[in-house]
Amino acid sequence: MIIRVGPASFVLHRRTLLVTIGLAALLVAAVVVAAGIGTRTVPPLEVVRALLTGGTEHDVIVRELRFPRVVLGVVCGVAFGLGGALIQSVARNPLSSPDVIGVTQGAGLAATIALTSGLAYELVAPSALAGGLLAAVAVFAFGARSGFAAHRFVLAGVAVAFALRAGIEVVMSSAESIDALRAQIWLIGSLNGRGYEEAGAIGLVLLLALPALLWAARALRTSALDDDTARALGVRPAARRLGAGALGVVLAAAATAQVGAVDFVALVAPQVARRLTGAERPPLVASALAGAVLVVLADLAARMLLAPTQLPVGVLTAGIGGPYLVYLLIRRRR
Amino acid sequence: MRGAAKRGGYLLLGVLVLLAAVAASLTIGSRPIPLGEALDALLHPSAGEAALIVRELRVPRTLVGLEVGAALAVAGVLMQALTRNPLAEARVLGISAGAATGVVAAIAFFGVASLAGWIWFGLAGAALAGALVFLVAARTRDGSGPVSLALSGAAIDAGLGAVIYGILSIDAATFEQYRFWVVGSIAGRTPAMAGQMAPFLAIGLVLAVVTARGLDALALGDDAARGLGHRIQRVRLLAAVAAIVLTGAAVALAGPIAFVGLAVPHAARALVGAAHRWVLPLSALLGAALLLLADVLGRVISPPGEVAAGVVTALVGAPVLLWLVRRARTVTA
Repeated sequence: MIIRVGPASFVLHRRTLLVTIGLAALLVAAVVVAAGIGTRTVPPLEVVRALLTGGTEHDVIVRELRFPRVVLGVVCGVAFGLGGALIQSVARNPLSSPDVIGVTQGAGLAATIALTSGLAYELVAPSALAGGLLAAVAVFAFGARSGFAAHRFVLAGVAVAFALRAGIEVVMSSAESIDALRAQIWLIGSLNGRGYEEAGAIGLVLLLALPALLWAARALRTSALDDDTARALGVRPAARRLGAGALGVVLAAAATAQVGAVDFVALVAPQVARRLTGAERPPLVASALAGAVLVVLADLAARMLLAPTQLPVGVLTAGIGGPYLVYLLIRRRR
Repeated sequence: MRGAAKRGGYLLLGVLVLLAAVAASLTIGSRPIPLGEALDALLHPSAGEAALIVRELRVPRTLVGLEVGAALAVAGVLMQALTRNPLAEARVLGISAGAATGVVAAIAFFGVASLAGWIWFGLAGAALAGALVFLVAARTRDGSGPVSLALSGAAIDAGLGAVIYGILSIDAATFEQYRFWVVGSIAGRTPAMAGQMAPFLAIGLVLAVVTARGLDALALGDDAARGLGHRIQRVRLLAAVAAIVLTGAAVALAGPIAFVGLAVPHAARALVGAAHRWVLPLSALLGAALLLLADVLGRVISPPGEVAAGVVTALVGAPVLLWLVRRARTVTA
């Protein structure tokens, strides 16, 4: 199916469209369920009423306690899903995710230093963002040689990531144990006690990145081609990879800075989206939605599984996303 | 052939670096022992303090470092060839997570409290997880092809990681023991442990050598490999068994040490090209040397304490890998 809007036209596959609509519906359902379940369970219809019109007896629970956290889950899931899809397309490697190219570790190292050096708590997230971006800049600088080839980029990322990871260990081992514990908790990542403020920070980045995302959605269509073919078509593959990769890094770093290393989402969401849609490379919108669904459901499980103890959401995204990916891998045998 | 002479030169260089690393590992530490004295202690058993330190502490530690470093690097070569993915290593294929799950189970459910006991649980866990990854991959559409293998491994690694976290978060006593294993270190291992793992490493190395030519063919793609007369499923199976056995034994012995298996194969390929008959031996030499040097550095970096080798390997190896990446020529698996 070809859609034309003025001068722009793009191909829309029916299956991609159906999967995307399905994921969107699933996301809405997940949001309503997640906002309803807790120590006091609110029926789905009541949740919808509380959210849309207000004036129910559950207003406080749904609107003020649960919904902010669910919104944060959606927003950071979207950012991780998009970031992962972009990075995987650029690196042409299904294993590449923010933690493989050093973004997570850069953010983690900056946050660890901030938390153990007694910096004000408000400065932790900005430091983490700066750390993640700096790490990415280093990776890009090392990987930039000879047209930004995919394997060079990935290897540079691995080297930077491991060096930073070792840096975290060194800082941790020399810190006071109470500070080290706080840093450890930050590193694992959680939505607990977070809400609109963090969601707003990620949302702002997503909003600012929107024009670039539209560009990337078009630009990535040639990313599966080899460089010579792409050049023959009048495309500058290195510039496109650089742009799309940088965008993915910014989104992943923005999300990591606010919620910590929940980055398995960035690996698994694009792969799930790709397998559901049957596309050649991770589809952006479906990856974003899959990421959001995964984080919202994982956070629900994190709240409820061992209640009243709260598990970090990163553990559950891995615990749910991993087996589901295995299921998808096996199911698609023909 | 000039190429062969050059590659042979790199192998010789690898041997020299490894010998230097062994010498450093025997002599450097909180009590420095001159090389002559150390060698003397090895050859003529005496009761002196220096002799005791060398024989009881440094020799076992060095042996374990040699075993683990070589095993991880060779396993890394095999896994990168199997998945045709430059990121493949023990963690990516779920084998480290399997070993970790085994150790956690040993502590939490079987009450095993010693390193000597954990080894077998670690080895069993690694073997089970590795087998699971390959079974899952074999059931996918492209039959244990590179992408399914890498993704099954990553998925199972993540799943097991969640299980481990779940157990540790409700069982603080287990965490207290587990955290010393999980940093990855070659300190405090006994000669008996090194001996127990030696047969597994020998089997793994022999299998790796046997599959070297088949792996070269796999790099050309499945169809080309078949056309050259290789039975690709058999090559994959043998290489996979070798990778699992090597990694399982190494991780069981030293804990998950991540960087060696990932980086050393790339360094070796950058020096001698992609042919596995050169990459495998050079990786074994460089892997052992890297782990020993990292361990030595960890002994002196922050006295009076020690930093575990698992932490230091990345600090030592990352600059080298970055330098190699910056060079014009890199070779993928």
